[in-house]
Amino acid sequence: MNRFRIWLIWPLAIAGNLAIGNWLFSSAYAKDTEELGKCICENKVKAEADNCLDKLKQSYWQDNKYSEFVDLLRNLHPENKSIVPSLSYYIALSRYQQFKYLEETKGWDEYFAKGNDYRNDIVKETGKSLEATALDDPLRIYSRLLIYQFHKDQQDTFTEGALSDLMSSTLEYAKAIGQKAMVGPQIAQANKDTEPIKEVADKLLSYDEKAKAKELYKIYAKGLVNSDIKDGALKDKAAGFYKDGNLELAQDIYDVYIERISKVLPKDKLISELAGIASAFSYQDSGFKDMFYAEKIFQKIEEIGGLEAFNEELIYLRGFNLEKNKEYRQAKDIYLLLIQKYPESKHIDEVTYKTGLIFTYILRDAKAGREYFDKLADKEGDNPYALSSLYQMGLLKQWEADFATAKGYYNKLIEKSERKVTDTFQMAQDRLKEIAEGTSMEHNLKTFMDTSLKEEFVNLDMSKVDLKSNIYQPKVDQAVDISSSTNLSSSGCFNVELQYLWSCDLGDAKPGVNQPEFKTTYKNQGTKIIGLVLISPSGITERSLDLIDAR
Amino acid sequence: MSPLSLRGHFSLVWRTVPILLLAICFLAAAPRGRPKVFIKKLKNNHYQLIVEHKPYIIKGVCYNPIPISQNYEYDWWSDPNKPWIVDGKLMKDMGINTIRLYQVDGDSDAVKRVIRDLYKNYGIRTILGSWLGFWEYPCPFYGDKKFQNKVKKEVLEMVSLYKDEPGVLMWVLGNENNYSCLGTVNPWSSDEIDKEPDPQKQKAMRAKIYYSFVNDLTREIHKIDSDHPVALGNGELVGLEFANKYARDVDLVACIIYRGKTFGNLFRSLKLTFDKPILVSEFGADCYDAYLKKEDQNMQAFFLESQWRQIYENLAGNKDGAGNCLGGTIFEWTDEWWKHDQSNPDSWSVHDTTSNWSNGSYYFDIKAEGNKNMNEEWFGIVALSQDLEQGINKRVPRKAYYVVREFWKKPILNNKRNKK
Repeated sequence: MNRFRIWLIWPLAIAGNLAIGNWLFSSAYAKDTEELGKCICENKVKAEADNCLDKLKQSYWQDNKYSEFVDLLRNLHPENKSIVPSLSYYIALSRYQQFKYLEETKGWDEYFAKGNDYRNDIVKETGKSLEATALDDPLRIYSRLLIYQFHKDQQDTFTEGALSDLMSSTLEYAKAIGQKAMVGPQIAQANKDTEPIKEVADKLLSYDEKAKAKELYKIYAKGLVNSDIKDGALKDKAAGFYKDGNLELAQDIYDVYIERISKVLPKDKLISELAGIASAFSYQDSGFKDMFYAEKIFQKIEEIGGLEAFNEELIYLRGFNLEKNKEYRQAKDIYLLLIQKYPESKHIDEVTYKTGLIFTYILRDAKAGREYFDKLADKEGDNPYALSSLYQMGLLKQWEADFATAKGYYNKLIEKSERKVTDTFQMAQDRLKEIAEGTSMEHNLKTFMDTSLKEEFVNLDMSKVDLKSNIYQPKVDQAVDISSSTNLSSSGCFNVELQYLWSCDLGDAKPGVNQPEFKTTYKNQGTKIIGLVLISPSGITERSLDLIDAR
Repeated sequence: MSPLSLRGHFSLVWRTVPILLLAICFLAAAPRGRPKVFIKKLKNNHYQLIVEHKPYIIKGVCYNPIPISQNYEYDWWSDPNKPWIVDGKLMKDMGINTIRLYQVDGDSDAVKRVIRDLYKNYGIRTILGSWLGFWEYPCPFYGDKKFQNKVKKEVLEMVSLYKDEPGVLMWVLGNENNYSCLGTVNPWSSDEIDKEPDPQKQKAMRAKIYYSFVNDLTREIHKIDSDHPVALGNGELVGLEFANKYARDVDLVACIIYRGKTFGNLFRSLKLTFDKPILVSEFGADCYDAYLKKEDQNMQAFFLESQWRQIYENLAGNKDGAGNCLGGTIFEWTDEWWKHDQSNPDSWSVHDTTSNWSNGSYYFDIKAEGNKNMNEEWFGIVALSQDLEQGINKRVPRKAYYVVREFWKKPILNNKRNKK
């Protein structure tokens, strides 16, 4: 009876579908559809039927025939009843996809006419699927995920509840498959079963639900650890996720890996492994990075081996990583360590100059800053850091209205640079001209100096404006994009007119006051400081700076 | 008088006095009738607006029918062609039951005529508001008692003039005035604030002054009009933590929200910050695609339908919502052609397509140059034609008009939670 019913309905389903859209007249297409339909209806093995269902979905979706696919699924009556929840899920999934498609392609007539029906299908069909699935069935969490995505995309009131349901179902699923793995000899299968957990975590990460994603990644990583995976393979897994750009998961697996090797490796080998991981996550212009995680690993190295565990390169890398993460105070401490331990380091000029800058413009301690500029000022030749230090010393004196001393520093700079026209040389010329003409320092620069060094601006803590460069280690003459993003109090529909006072090492650019971003190039190597003061209708609102290393 | 008759008289007094006393007591103890309009807090802590004994969902629009070629100074109240008659009919057909007026100026008889016409002919009620001097030049001096008294006088005059109009629904004090407390918009100060070096403390001082002032106004309104609620107009939820301290007497908040598709966590956040009912008093979307540089009525309809769905999700009685929403007033009924270049009268006859602000939540045209995608002159759910009909610019309802009308007829929320 049942079989008869299937055979009766199946051609009808196809015929109905043909009537709906003439696209199915393509005979090859129809043949594929018929074969896959049969596979779904007659297959006794659920996994195989699901596979056919997925193939069928692909063939309809590629032509955006969502309604036709839904109609077809509604007319399928498989012998194996365990397929039915999958049909419900695919109906809901298709409606979800259709909704997105209509919005993207602005299919508004259908959107407004059928929108409520489609929404209803998503809720109703996922409900059916959930009703019919057990805790350890991946379809259950896929259904939960779908309903969460639906509410999240709608940005409606039910998103929070759907997320909570999704997390509960995923945790129940993890528990259920964990128990299954404990009692059975199917470890490999158990590993395969954890993939849906990762998929949910990936999706949550894409929706910016970092904490929830992390929670699930940890479960997924734990699943790997509980299996018989070797340390090397675990490391490879982590490296693989790193290469794929899934840094959250890579970090979770590296954490497990570190926990394991901490128990077995001798100290020096352990530190070497950690240094490799920290380097991978440290700041670099291209490739994946997570400066916070890198610093966490640097701290672990320090815990294990003390500061002695850091060689010259590792100290520099840590300091540079902190600096790029705008953790200037900590960066300065690490740079000081390098200055103290490796006075002959190839990085010594750069870190000495940067220490001077951090003291002066971040910590507002020009006296301490000068000490470091002074160390470089007497260096022989046209060392870019020596020239920049002379410029900084001249600038501080000019700002203090000690013009004679300022002039001395600028002249020394020009003399040392052997009249080669560099960015620093040009700026020194500009300052000398100001002194010679008795005019005040260039307005933007003076405002930056005032806000950086005067007590009355101590409240400007660089939190309301963030500066970013597309690259931080450009080559000479390579284009650099510098942009600012503001984090000011909200102003509703009012458009707050902001002014951007750019100053310091702007290279060949002269950005105007209305420009929140600009492009520049540098003529010579060295560390460049970008200064910005933000002006709103209520006056000076914030200051910020960024450091770029032209190599 | 015989002792008998005396006794009879005493007996009469004896019988009558208690009845009189009882009647007096009853009259004294009898509760005054419920206000015409009030907000009821339900047992589940949801809020419901009650108008003449019945629950009332505010299905409203912001109304400022400035004709093409005029600007905000135009006295439409006195327009002999009575644009509100044409508009009222269209509104009623759509399902609108409320208009919001930002501020009423000028001839009070003309204003009353508008309120009465809309109410008597179409059952449409009016929300009356005040800018609270926000646009005073050079800035609103909320820290100055003289300024406060001037504004107070104007507000109380408005309440006295219109409180007995049957069509009045409520009062809204201010609009986005709270942003001035942050110092970026219409910044104001006082000697005391100027002495405070910490900008955060300065903001807190301004907020205290402003919200205390609104609270003071609310109390004064309550004294002369107990029949209509008083709303605190506020841009987003910004500063409501201060309102929670200093403006406890307001009956509800009227928030201006432009968050695109929906209102995010607005309703729940409000419950945590300042547990008052909320009217979404300004929201919506423009219908000009600044990226493709053409009108896109569907885009506007898409946002408005989605926004109304969330308003309904958060009305009283929906157990999955916050239950604190009383409804909304869409911004706005008709386009206003004067807005982009206010100082240039020539431009008031041009439907300007230049945008001057950006909002990423309205994502369809966010790739417009400089990300400026919000077109101030294109927010109407009804377009204005340059052709005249009955002496006014012909009204052309946009797609949003019909889509929202259909939603109101059958509000479907898709809120069934799968319990298993």
